[in-house]
Parts: sequence; C-alpha cells; structure tokens
Amino acid sequence: MNLISKARKISIWSWFWFILGVLYYVLPLYATLVFSLQMERGVVSFKAYESAFADPEFWRTFSYSIFLAVMTIIVSITLVVPTAYWIRLKLPEARRIVEFITLMPFVVPAIILVFGLIRIYSFPVVIPFTSIQIIPPLTNFKVGTNILIIAGYIVLGLPYMYRSVDTGMRTVDVRTLTEAAQAMGANWGTIITKVILPNVRTALLSGALLTFAIVVGEVILASFLGVPAFGPYLFLLGQHRAYEPAALSFTTFLLTWAAMGIIQLVTGGQGQTTGAH
Amino acid sequence: MAYLELNNISKVFGKTTAVADFNLKVERGELVSFLGPSGCGKTTTLRMVAGFETPTEGRIIIDGMDVANKAPNQRNVGMVFQAYALFPNMTVANNIGFGLKIAKKSSEEIKKRVQEMLDLIHMSDFGSRYPWQLSGGQQQRVALARALAMSPRVLLLDEPLSALDAKIRVSLRAEIRSIQQKLGITAIYVTHDQEEALSISDRIVVMYDGRTEQIGTPFRIYNFPETAFVASFIGTLNSFNAEVTDLKNNILSIGNLNLTTAENLEGRQVGDKVMIAIRPERINFSSEQKKANLFDCTIENITFLGSIVRIQVRVGDLRLAMDTFNNPFLELPRIGSTAGITCSREAVIILNPDIS
Repeated sequence: MNLISKARKISIWSWFWFILGVLYYVLPLYATLVFSLQMERGVVSFKAYESAFADPEFWRTFSYSIFLAVMTIIVSITLVVPTAYWIRLKLPEARRIVEFITLMPFVVPAIILVFGLIRIYSFPVVIPFTSIQIIPPLTNFKVGTNILIIAGYIVLGLPYMYRSVDTGMRTVDVRTLTEAAQAMGANWGTIITKVILPNVRTALLSGALLTFAIVVGEVILASFLGVPAFGPYLFLLGQHRAYEPAALSFTTFLLTWAAMGIIQLVTGGQGQTTGAH
Repeated sequence: MAYLELNNISKVFGKTTAVADFNLKVERGELVSFLGPSGCGKTTTLRMVAGFETPTEGRIIIDGMDVANKAPNQRNVGMVFQAYALFPNMTVANNIGFGLKIAKKSSEEIKKRVQEMLDLIHMSDFGSRYPWQLSGGQQQRVALARALAMSPRVLLLDEPLSALDAKIRVSLRAEIRSIQQKLGITAIYVTHDQEEALSISDRIVVMYDGRTEQIGTPFRIYNFPETAFVASFIGTLNSFNAEVTDLKNNILSIGNLNLTTAENLEGRQVGDKVMIAIRPERINFSSEQKKANLFDCTIENITFLGSIVRIQVRVGDLRLAMDTFNNPFLELPRIGSTAGITCSREAVIILNPDIS
C-alpha cells in the first residue's frame, strides 16, 4: 500500500514539475504570439507578420544569416567531426584539453572575440622581416569579412557542436566500430562516411540546430563587423517598432521547433545500440 | 611452414611489456585459444594479428606472407568483438555484406553470399532487421557471419561470449566451433574462461604476465600442467611444496607425509624442493591398505556444486579438496568424521619450479 501511495505521490510531483516547466517555456511564447496579433487595435490579425515579411530588408538579412549559418555548420562539422573522432580513437589524453578549449566561448565574451578579430585582421598579414603580403586586410572586402564572421561563429558554436558530436560518438563506441570496419577492408574515408557519420547523425543535427540558432540571432559580431545580418536587423527593428519584432521572434521560434521536429522525424528509432535480451 | 606463425612477438607500451617473446605456429583449420587472466597480453597479441597494434618486435606470417607492418584493412582477417560491433545504421544483411561491398563484389554475389551466411547462422529471415532489434546472442551470430562473409584467411574472436548470459554462452560456443570446423577456417579465440577454452579449442595457449606459460591440447593442459600458474588457473587444484626423499621409489615428502609419484625424478637429488599438484577429482575415499598414497583424513566441510560434491578434508596439517560425482544415492561422510583417502601415483604431478 505504501508503495502504491508513494508511486502516486511521485507521479503527482512529476506532473507538477512538468507543467511548471511547460508553463515557463510556453507562457512567454504565448504572450509574444498574442502581442504580435494585436497590431490593429481591438482586432486579432496577422498584420504585424504581413508588415514584417513585406520589408525587403527582412528577407535580405534573413537569407544572409541563413547563408552564414549554413557555411558555419559545414565548416564546423568538417573541423569538429574528424577532431572528435581522432581524439576518441587515438588521443584520448587530449580530450580534456580540447574540451577546455571548446568551453572558452563561455568565458570569453563575444565582444572580446570580435575586437580581437578586427584588431588582427584589419591589417595585412606579411612575411616577417619583409613587406610581402600573404593575406590582405580581411575587414576591407566582403569575402574577407564573411570569412572572419564565419570563423567567429564557429568559435561561438564550438561548445555546442563539439559536445553534441562527442556525446554522439560516446554512445556508439566509435573505436570498436572503426576496428570492425577496418577488419573488413574499409579505408578511413569509407569508415567516416559509411560508419561514423551515419551513426552520429542525431548528434550532428543537434549541433547544427544549435549553431543555426546562435548564428541567426547573433548581434555583436555582425554589428561590429558591419554585416547586414538578421540579428542586428531585429535589434534595430525592436528600437523603432513594437509588433513586428514580436512577430519575427515568434516566427523564429516556430522555425526552430520545426527544425527540431524534422530531426525527430529523420532520426526516429535510430541510434539504438543495445540488444533486446 | 605453419599457416599462421607468430615469431618472437613482443609489444611494449611505454615502460610496460604487454607481450614478451611470443611464439606460436597455427596449422590451417586449427582453432587455438589464448587463455589467461586480465592483463596477461592475450588481447594485445590478438590485436597484433588483426593489425590494430604494431608489434615492437617480431614477425606475423599468414600463409607465407609477413603482415606485421600491414594495415588492418590489407590483412583479410575476420574479427568478432566482445561488444558485437555491428553497425547500428545498417540492417543485418547490410552488416554482413559490408566487407563484400568494400571489396567491390557484384550485387548478385553479395546477395547470394549474405543469404549463405544467414543460413549458416540459422537466421535466414533476419536480413532486414536492425541490430537493436536482435538479442545479444543473435547480434553475436550476425557479427560472426559478417566476419566470415569475406572468407578471411584467419578468424579472430576477442572474448565473443563474455557479454552473454551463461546458457547462451554454452550453446553459442558450440555453434562457433561447429561453424569453424565446417568451414575449416583457421581461428584464434581469446577468452579468460577456462571452461570455454577447454571445450572449444584444438590447442590452448595459457598466458600470464605477457608470457606463454604452456601450449597444448585441452587434455594436456588440464591433466599435465607444466607450471604452477597453469595448474592453478585451469580447474581447482591442491598444490604443496614437497621434498624429494627417495629417488629409487619416487617418493616425495610433505612434512611427515610420504607421497609416491609416477613422474620422472631423473636429474633430481634427494632433498630437492619441488612443487606438486593433485586435482581434487583424482582423490577418492578408500580403505584398501594395498593402495599407494593412502591417508587418514578428517572431513572438514562438504559443498554441493550440482554435478559434483566438493569435500574439504584435513590430512595432518594439510588441507585438501576432493571431488566426487553427485548421484541421488551418494552416501556422504559426516563433517568431523574420519575416513581413508587415496590418489594414484599418476595423480601426483610435479610442476615446473622455474616459472611462477
């Protein structure tokens, strides 16, 4: 009897915390949604959304931020996956150092990072003791600035991307899978593309989603490097308008949730490694 | 020349010698087990054959070719891991066909071979399932099929049954042995389970602390252990320090007790110290005065172990364990009572004093 009442007690408390958690996340969203629908006084309408989407600046900045996010994700995956894989496989002793490095963006604020980037890359990189330029000042031209901002975003997203990938690799025992593939004649390229990447797909998508969210909403790097990104646009819009920023914020939330739903759909049922006994 | 040869293999990690001067010749179609406690170097040796570790010294020759410095994907060896290591993103059929796909076999050939392998492991209808939909035993059978699909030159099994429960372990080891014999494939099997090694192997290499202690058939390893370690690691054992007292009549003494042995004492002197061993099942109750090695004992403890009953007895200052087969009509002595026990001259084994 005691056990049953204890179970009920636990269940009630679980529900309480669950509902509290849901309210914590849903209430602000609900408030944003309700506010965004009240642009016309006394009428519930999508006018704020129409107005926001009608602004060509919105599409320009949003598409540019998506471009930056996609590039950041591609380069991050290219850098992080082989690094995390190699550390798990050959250099486990380096894991703590790399983990520490990947946590640096939590300690060093974005403002410091962007000043560092501007200070170093607004001057040409020359061969020491000569005046021969290897790299021109990156802040002086568009491609250079894009390179700088993507590099900065990679750093900001590193804690999320590295941890996601590393956790994914931990769950599938990459070492044994690698050895199994090697014993069957596979080379490194085949192992990474056919064995490792498909098995850390969920982790990669999680890392990519987090990176996407960071890049699309980022303000500091984009403002100081002077690029027309979505973050500064939303910030400026918020200073002059009331309803449109709420509409765009809600849209961004919906996009993020849609992305998470797609991840669940794509990876549903995969990644289970334990057997049924 | 043997089909697989490991010549003077050693492996050093930093200051630790994991394997020292290891030598082995394995004939085609033979199954050899590496048996020993954790850290004895058995898995390291297997991994050197697979190519996952490079020997610090020595040569590994498979079918006349030195492969010691070849990458694992160039050796054509099949490997079965303790943790199954099936690719979670692939179906059973794709797992089995993975190596064949790498070898660029035609899709018809792959399909045919995969079905052959599925039939071999009695899982013909499981091709479309994913690893997580299988039990541990089924996963390991798929891993075995995957390793065999490419017709490897050598099959390596690294504690393949350790993660399974006792009943499945027994049935699966019989299945592994049957498949190995059916295909006539050369295999190396790593285990720390003596029963597994004794039941599955043509020969066993007993390893300890990076060294080979003894190589022999299961029968020889069990009945004629050459070192104290082998004797103590394989089965239960009574071992004592004894002294040679009569070379003519092959008599050894342990304190006041005299034991006759059938072992050759040639080259030994009276007064030499030796280590002797007697298996518990070689000791019997007896009161016949004519028998060799007859002693009076006191029964100290009786333990029921299912098929056998283990009886702890005391002979003077010595404690001995003796085993007797269980049967429903077995009359066991009472604890504290006295009885006569005996063992044959052949049961008294002298262990190699140089090792352990």
